[in-house]
Amino acid sequence: MTNARYSRQVILQGFGKQAQQKLSNARVLVIGAGGLGCPALQYLAGAGVGIIGIADGDTVSLSNLHRQPLYHTADVGKMKTEVALERLAALNPEISINLFPVFINAENCLAIIKGYDIILDCSDNFETRYLLNDACVLLDKPLIFAAVSGYEGQIAVFATDDRFNQRTNYRDIFPVQPQQGEIANCEENGVIGVLPGIIGAMQAAEAIKLITGIGTPLINKLLNYNLLTQEFYEVLITPAPIGSYKLPDSVGEFSKINYSGSTGAKSTEVIEIDIEQLHELLQSASASVIDVREVYELPVISKIRSTQIPMSVFNKEIEKPISVHNIVLICQHGIRSLAAGQILKEKYGSDKNVYSLKGGIARWIGFL
Amino acid sequence: MEIDIISFGRIRELIESQTVNIAGLKNTDEVKAYLEQRYPALAGMKYALALNKKLVQSKTEIEGNSTIAIMPPFSGG
Repeated sequence: MTNARYSRQVILQGFGKQAQQKLSNARVLVIGAGGLGCPALQYLAGAGVGIIGIADGDTVSLSNLHRQPLYHTADVGKMKTEVALERLAALNPEISINLFPVFINAENCLAIIKGYDIILDCSDNFETRYLLNDACVLLDKPLIFAAVSGYEGQIAVFATDDRFNQRTNYRDIFPVQPQQGEIANCEENGVIGVLPGIIGAMQAAEAIKLITGIGTPLINKLLNYNLLTQEFYEVLITPAPIGSYKLPDSVGEFSKINYSGSTGAKSTEVIEIDIEQLHELLQSASASVIDVREVYELPVISKIRSTQIPMSVFNKEIEKPISVHNIVLICQHGIRSLAAGQILKEKYGSDKNVYSLKGGIARWIGFL
Repeated sequence: MEIDIISFGRIRELIESQTVNIAGLKNTDEVKAYLEQRYPALAGMKYALALNKKLVQSKTEIEGNSTIAIMPPFSGG
């Protein structure tokens, strides 16, 4: 390959024509063509990654431009994938670019990522992040995760073995997906434009390292970056104890997981659940467990985290707003908790899912 | 016994990075309970702890001069 385009990286020690050929043979998918995705795409395209996929269902808006340098002011209102294709093809016409002008969801996710070797999570919401994490573990695809908040960024490589044959995923750090609104995103929290530029470029660097085998990729390491102090803080990620979370281990199971923030159909009724359903709920969603027994009642439950709001003060206490979307009520026999659930349902209707542990603590004492 | 606490993201607004004396606290579970008592808002947040740059996955004994990092998940992109 005597291509002047790549000459400056090919002459690097430890790189050479072989590494360039590996880049040319690689297929990399970038989910989200926003603050992280733009710089990642530009460097991947420039480096000569042979096939680049871009998935984004969004259009360019004026408030994107300070951090998404692929787009110009005249692009406002256009599909991001279309504009990105035009710019990247102009940058490097020797590569192939595939567009997926959609938002990733549980239905389309596996089909889209199947055709790629490495996936970059450049998304901007937890729904996509957990969906991608679980999909990459299921399909055995290395995932280059990154996210930003304010002046700080996080980056890590998941779902692939480190040199000790160990692998981790995002749920080993944060097992349960936060609810919508629980953690602020860029829209609410703000972000300085150059920050995702730095972190997105680092994602491209990790992709190039994984493909070519140079250096030490951030496998099982969470690298925190602070723009204000220019400080890095790297944390070793170890696997969570077995049972801390449950990943879908088949395509069928994957399609059954609801990542969209609510668990199941919105119900106007209190849903009675058993202990197994309670554990599933606590693993798959953000839920608060409220013990409605009086403070003197025994036994104290210790195996799951709960808050106590006794029935004697329940009406008064719930005047305060409750932020969590899923509420599980428990009591001694599952009768008062059902009544408490009905009080919550009158207040919140279908806005919140309210569950009551059937049979109560008396029935499930060994598990609580 | 003194340890350093380093916080990240929105948790930085709640808990400043600082050196604290945790006399009597022996392990990460006790430090977690101490932090959630001193900063009640933390109890309602999702966060991960790292002890000396290693993610805490179960109760771990703490030696003096250790560093505990408190990290929330970020979603922005």
